[in-house]
Amino acid sequence: MSATAAIPTARRFPLFTQQLIWVAGCFALTVAPHLGDVRLWLALLAAATVIWRLAIELRHWRLPHKWLRIGIAFAAMLGVLATYRTLNGLEAGTAFLIVMGAMKLLETRSRRDLTIVLFVAYFLLFAGFLYHQEPVLLPYMLVAAWILTATLMRIHQTAPVTASEALRATGKVFLQALPFAVLLFLLFPRLPGQFWAVPPRQQTMTGIDDEVSPGDVSELSVSGQIAFRVKFATDELPQPSQRYWRGPVLHDFDGRTWRRPQYPYVERPLVPTGESYDYRLVLEPHNRFWLFALDAPTRWPRGARRTFDYQLLTSRRVSTLRAYDLQSNTGYRVDGPLPRLLRQADLRLPPNRNPRAVQLAQKMRAAAGSDLAFVQAVLTMFREQEYFYTLEPPRLEQDSVDDFLFNTRRGFCEHFASAFTMLARAAGIPARVVAGYQGGELNPLNGYLIVRQSDAHAWSEVWIEGRGWVRVDPTAAVAPERIERGLTAAISDEESVPGRIFARSTLLAQMRNAWDALNTYWNDNVIGFGQEQQRSLLAALGIKDPDWRQLGIGLVIAVIAFFACLSLYLAMRYRPPRRDPLVQTYEQLCKRFAKRALPRAAYEGPNDYLSRLAAQRPDLARELDEVRQLYVSLRYGPAPLASELSRLKHLVNQLKV
Amino acid sequence: MLARLLSRVRTKTRAWARKRHGDDPDPLILSGRRIYILPSSLGVAFGFMVFAMFIGAMNYGNNLALALTFLLGALGLTAMHHCHRNLARVRISSAVTEPVFAGQLARFRIAIENPSRIARHEITVGNDHGIARPGRIECGERIILEVALPAQRRGYLPLDHFEISTRHPFGLFRAWAYLHMPIRCIVYPRPSERDAAPPPVETDTGGAQDTARGDEEFAGFRAFHVGDSPRRIAWKAYAREQGLLVKLHAGTAVASHLFDWNMTKGASVEARLSQLCRWIEDAYAGGRAFGLKLPGTHIPPNVGPAHRQRCLTALALFDGSMP
Repeated sequence: MSATAAIPTARRFPLFTQQLIWVAGCFALTVAPHLGDVRLWLALLAAATVIWRLAIELRHWRLPHKWLRIGIAFAAMLGVLATYRTLNGLEAGTAFLIVMGAMKLLETRSRRDLTIVLFVAYFLLFAGFLYHQEPVLLPYMLVAAWILTATLMRIHQTAPVTASEALRATGKVFLQALPFAVLLFLLFPRLPGQFWAVPPRQQTMTGIDDEVSPGDVSELSVSGQIAFRVKFATDELPQPSQRYWRGPVLHDFDGRTWRRPQYPYVERPLVPTGESYDYRLVLEPHNRFWLFALDAPTRWPRGARRTFDYQLLTSRRVSTLRAYDLQSNTGYRVDGPLPRLLRQADLRLPPNRNPRAVQLAQKMRAAAGSDLAFVQAVLTMFREQEYFYTLEPPRLEQDSVDDFLFNTRRGFCEHFASAFTMLARAAGIPARVVAGYQGGELNPLNGYLIVRQSDAHAWSEVWIEGRGWVRVDPTAAVAPERIERGLTAAISDEESVPGRIFARSTLLAQMRNAWDALNTYWNDNVIGFGQEQQRSLLAALGIKDPDWRQLGIGLVIAVIAFFACLSLYLAMRYRPPRRDPLVQTYEQLCKRFAKRALPRAAYEGPNDYLSRLAAQRPDLARELDEVRQLYVSLRYGPAPLASELSRLKHLVNQLKV
Repeated sequence: MLARLLSRVRTKTRAWARKRHGDDPDPLILSGRRIYILPSSLGVAFGFMVFAMFIGAMNYGNNLALALTFLLGALGLTAMHHCHRNLARVRISSAVTEPVFAGQLARFRIAIENPSRIARHEITVGNDHGIARPGRIECGERIILEVALPAQRRGYLPLDHFEISTRHPFGLFRAWAYLHMPIRCIVYPRPSERDAAPPPVETDTGGAQDTARGDEEFAGFRAFHVGDSPRRIAWKAYAREQGLLVKLHAGTAVASHLFDWNMTKGASVEARLSQLCRWIEDAYAGGRAFGLKLPGTHIPPNVGPAHRQRCLTALALFDGSMP
């Protein structure tokens, strides 16, 4: 029988062992993408259970005792609770899934257990996409989904299937399902926003923070990670010296660290004066509440707001990659006097801190004569005296500004901005620190400006009566090439700077650009596929301004069409093999005589039957005899001729039964 | 409670399907239009999983997660079509079913043939009493599966209904068809307790022969092989220059019984048949010849499986209402 013939002979393990190996493999395969995101002990737990369970199976050990399993599960659950303090949210949920899968794997002894582990693996695969959306991950995830489903087939088929058979069969079903999945993806209506709040991810991500202490920004600058990408509406980009990307504005100073104020202040609206730019900013998730915008934003999307100090805040943490359409003006002024409370806040200094700096500021202000002249004098001091711009500044004492100005004299942008702002306040000029990014690198392949963590920057703003807030970047005084040409140009060759290798090799730079262009395309068209893209896609198909109903109708039509095609295809695949034309012709003849009350008896071969027919129908005897001879020759003769077959067909067709 | 409800629903649907399709011929090519399909419990769980993923993906607004969800959903629905098509247009016929004794489990043998170009997988038959182990049918081949049914009374046992079903490819769906084919099995009477009544004494000796064994009668010649006894060589034939031949003998005289309906007087019809059945079985096992005499039937003494079957069938189909 065929069922036994299909079993391959080279089979090493019993069926359940094979299934278990596959399921354990699936679990490992889907835990792997989470290794970078979960705590180490969870990864170790998963690896240990997989190895332990496989060893039990292969060495024929006994399964761990029930109470031991319960103990481990309980401890692991407590571990998750202690680590994440909740079971809600993505990280805790993923950890919970891993623990659940590992524990179930440890007690697996039936098909049902295997299925549960496999379902956990499916969920882990799904959770992987919530963490990572890089294009390289997609093939991995697709292959994993394929293997998972092949495993589903293997554990739910009773007749033995080999691994390659299961993979092949599942692959075929996958390929057939793919067009349907693509249709659903393109046509399924997208909802704007979340319909219930998910606790944000607790994991800290690199990015500009709303607290700047000496050393914070220089630490960030070592990272080559992308912070955001910007596409300007026109080909005209702002000058490099204008590319200040405004982030958190810091007012409160404790002598060492700058922080955002706890309460909002009142300030007069800014009046845009300079050139205006429209652009789309694609912000990488940084898990914080603010956006970055070209200084200063004048138009922003719904769901965001501009604070009193011209910073854009969102209502939710930016935890997924999102695009924002913004408008900014590179120049602006503020009319009228500075409100009293804000003035007080931006003049406040911690008492008894940095005494030498305070003294220096008061001396310089007295010598300068005006606020503007004082600013110039401080910048000149930075430029002409021995101050150095470095990525590896020495650690500073508690009175950080004093230590920096009079001892170490080596610092990164936050040191200069902090020192400058403090000096200005000590001189009676309202001043604040702005954190953000400065610069950006144009990718010529797609026209996107890429801003990396290494472009992180901090600068100052001072209030000049009659002009409003004026941006002062003390770093520009020390290292003007940082502003014009970026970090790599400003830092001496001895220090290691991210991206230096790309600055030296054009080939590498081109490859990096191409890779980034691919990522950008991916972000725009796959990850960022939303209502807008759906609308333009349907517009290209001739449907202008589609609403929910039209999308729904389109979806239903597409689904019906898909299943009709699939049905036809399967019917074709399952059709019976083509019959032998000789047999067909003979059966046609038999059928025609059967209608004339001369049916073939069950025991009669063609020879006997045709002879009997010839005897009973003398009018057709000659033709029937020829038919008989042709049939015998075609069926049993040494070399059947094609012409004989056509002659036979002709005779049978012409026969007047 | 739930099980009983489900069983009632199943009976009702089967009755409805029978009304809809009528009784089936044997053999039958299964039309795709009479195949029903529903998600299995695994399929329901899979559906819930995909739905949960869908909610999550929509909530996070995550397109890749949504794409995975759609892919798995599409996979499930595509698998549904495969499941249905895997069963459609197979050829079902009855194969020879071995007779059983009353009280045993009759195993109806169903032949399933795949006339298509590609293999069919995981095809099984079953009824309320169990499901056969699913098998795979390569193209142009057939497998034979068994449907069990307890045989309670002697006579013909019809296999009133059975289901053919499949869960290919992932076990997410179960496609099935109700079949009502005219298949029946002969059920012999249940043999009575051994030694309840001693078999009647031998009525005859040497009247019957078992041709398969013994050396009573001359049965022919065969060519000489080394090791044959010289006493069996046909010297006369050798003298006629026919070569060395060996004389063959076969047949042995066996004790012979005649089991008569009238010998079992006193008991009920079924008990009498059971007693006859027991005697036949014992005589057959002991290699003795037996004949059977029932009202209206007389089977002369003989030996061999075909004879036993003939006698037992006569008992099975005996019309008890006859005097």
